[in-house]
Amino acid sequence: MKTTLAKKETVTHDWKIVDASGLILGRLAVQIANALRGRNKPTYTPHVDTGDYVVVINAEKVKLSGSKEEQKQYMFYSGYMGNEKYRTVADFRENRPEFIITNAVKGMLPRNKLSSGMLTRLRVFRGEEHEHEAQQPSPLLS
Amino acid sequence: MPRARNVPATRKRRKKVLKKARGYFGNKSRLFRYAKDAVDRGEAYAYAHRRKYRSEIRQLWIVRINAACRAEGLRYGEFIHGLTKINVDLNRKILSELAIHEPDAFKELVEKAKTALAA
Repeated sequence: MKTTLAKKETVTHDWKIVDASGLILGRLAVQIANALRGRNKPTYTPHVDTGDYVVVINAEKVKLSGSKEEQKQYMFYSGYMGNEKYRTVADFRENRPEFIITNAVKGMLPRNKLSSGMLTRLRVFRGEEHEHEAQQPSPLLS
Repeated sequence: MPRARNVPATRKRRKKVLKKARGYFGNKSRLFRYAKDAVDRGEAYAYAHRRKYRSEIRQLWIVRINAACRAEGLRYGEFIHGLTKINVDLNRKILSELAIHEPDAFKELVEKAKTALAA
């Protein structure tokens, strides 16, 4: 008997939903990244994208431990001199809370050709509302 | 006395190498001089990776078993420990295939491991 390998043509991607409110960012991001990669399924195959879609709601209510709210910095650099910018989590929380989660998950995905496709299956929303009621997502964390 | 060369043999030997180098990039598939290096290297990797494959595929089975038994509320290490306690000798390959094709049988194994651990 040969080891079963998933095929791109026959893989089905499920929909999962998770409420980020009150959860610790890094611990949540691990769960999301594993679901996007398909590591929570017995059919996981490294060279085939077997992951699920993940909908995150209440992105602005995610928690960070310690004083990372003010101390954790994101660096941006356009390539021009004097254009190195630093933003803290607090800067993003109000205006772009989706970035906090997407950035954390992105760093936990493998650096390969599949990872960009996996990241497109992550949908992050602030507040309770999301656009994927029609897909009837099931809870990611039980 | 003129120098004797064995051209048919040389051609045969070089042709064998070039045949293995089909599909290689540029010179490597066309000139014996460069094809030989590429083929030697390729075969060395093929040999090493056939051996590496065994450990890599075992890692994959373990990842799959872990995913399947975590869904039933047991970590991989606990699951295997429970199975050894009740003398289940199924290997990782069969366990991972069971998890895909016979989820009910796999669930039963997890339950048995759980009771073995509790005892």
